[in-house]
Amino acid sequence: MVERSQTEVWRMAPWLMLALLFINFALMALDARDRTTGQWVVRAWAQTAADFVQSPVTTISSSVSNYFTSISNLRSAQDENTILKERIQELEVEIRQKEDLAAENRRLLSLLDLKEQTQYRVLTARIIGRDPSAWFDSSIINRGSLDGVKLNMPIVTGGGLVGRVTAVSPLTAQVDLITRDKSGVGAVVGEIGGSNALGVVSGTSKKDLLEMRYVSGSVEVSVGQIVYTTGQDGIFPAGLKIGEIVNIVPGSATTPHQIQIRPASRLDSMQEVGVLLYEPPEKTDFEQKLPNAVKRN
Amino acid sequence: MEGVRLTIALIVAVALQWTLRNVFEPLMYIDLPLIVIVYAAVGRNTMRALIFGTAAGLAVDALSGGLLGAGAFAKTLVAYIVSEIARRVYLDNVLLRIPVLAGACIFDDLAVYVLHNMFGQPPVGDLLITAAYSLIGTTVVGTMIFLLLQSFSGTTPRKRKSDFFPPRRNTRRRNPIRLGK
Repeated sequence: MVERSQTEVWRMAPWLMLALLFINFALMALDARDRTTGQWVVRAWAQTAADFVQSPVTTISSSVSNYFTSISNLRSAQDENTILKERIQELEVEIRQKEDLAAENRRLLSLLDLKEQTQYRVLTARIIGRDPSAWFDSSIINRGSLDGVKLNMPIVTGGGLVGRVTAVSPLTAQVDLITRDKSGVGAVVGEIGGSNALGVVSGTSKKDLLEMRYVSGSVEVSVGQIVYTTGQDGIFPAGLKIGEIVNIVPGSATTPHQIQIRPASRLDSMQEVGVLLYEPPEKTDFEQKLPNAVKRN
Repeated sequence: MEGVRLTIALIVAVALQWTLRNVFEPLMYIDLPLIVIVYAAVGRNTMRALIFGTAAGLAVDALSGGLLGAGAFAKTLVAYIVSEIARRVYLDNVLLRIPVLAGACIFDDLAVYVLHNMFGQPPVGDLLITAAYSLIGTTVVGTMIFLLLQSFSGTTPRKRKSDFFPPRRNTRRRNPIRLGK
């Protein structure tokens, strides 16, 4: 081990600092350039290493919090039990009606010679880590490339769209939420085909608010309407619920509406999510050559 | 030996930084790796502090939604500036280390914010709120850790100022009465 004098260390320090700053700057520049297409080895390694720490900690902390939650829930359990019994009876009637409808649907499908198919496979995942920095809101899930997760796959919960996969390691994946400023989702107000109010939903830096842009001011929209994905962004499939309109600053014939949306999912407290194993259709050669096109490997 | 201790402390700090937010949301405002980096830099371990800054920054960036290298850039710069201050000012007193840690925290936050905006990836968090909470959390926890470390090593004080600077030449006073002789 070479012992360096203090003077020698002080002389070398600025050069070492400059070298490290240059490396970090280069990493930043490359990362900013390949934000949507690139897959970084450093991220994958760090995520795999972190999984061995994050998974046990999450399991322990969630079991401890579940224990205390179950104790506090015992108080209201009896009232809840009575309400639930009534609800079960209502649901049983509904299920019978749905079974009749499903049987009818099957009969009609066979009559038309159509095959019944599920659109996308959903892989359930648990959130094992949150963004270690206070500046961002990404999450780490316990499913990775070994489970079939790929870059840009949509993340959903029961409520609706949550975000997309931005980095994948063999055991885990990183998820960016739709509330992030740079996110953009092709969206429509109301059912697809039943509305002309098309636009782009993006984050607003506020955790519980999204913004819909470019909706023509001449199209009628109202507070309370539901916003769905259109599938035209080349990342998310059509028909996923994004949220509900909470505020509109009306536009005119020449200016677009300014629409604020409350996300359908509770993004700050979710514990389990679903990964839609969906891969968007291949883009044509012309689209691939466009300067802003998302290149697929 | 101190190097090994600091390296272990840094690994523990990074591991805690990865997990604590998932346990309790407000804990995200405590920047544990920054505390270790400032501690190393204040102890005049410039080279170690610089390498710690890059390593810890990259480890946190890799799991963050931000740019890879932004946190590392900020922490490396902080490590250098703090070690330069420690070279010029005697900072072995914990009370003097508190403003240094607070300043380092503000500088780190500002650097991360500016770098992300420069590369067109603005952070989700609001600058004032995030920087303020981060300043409070990191400074309070950092001060407690510094006090704890000082109480553990209270009997064996760290290197004194005289160890780092050459001894002042003591000129012998001559008796002015005898000068004439």
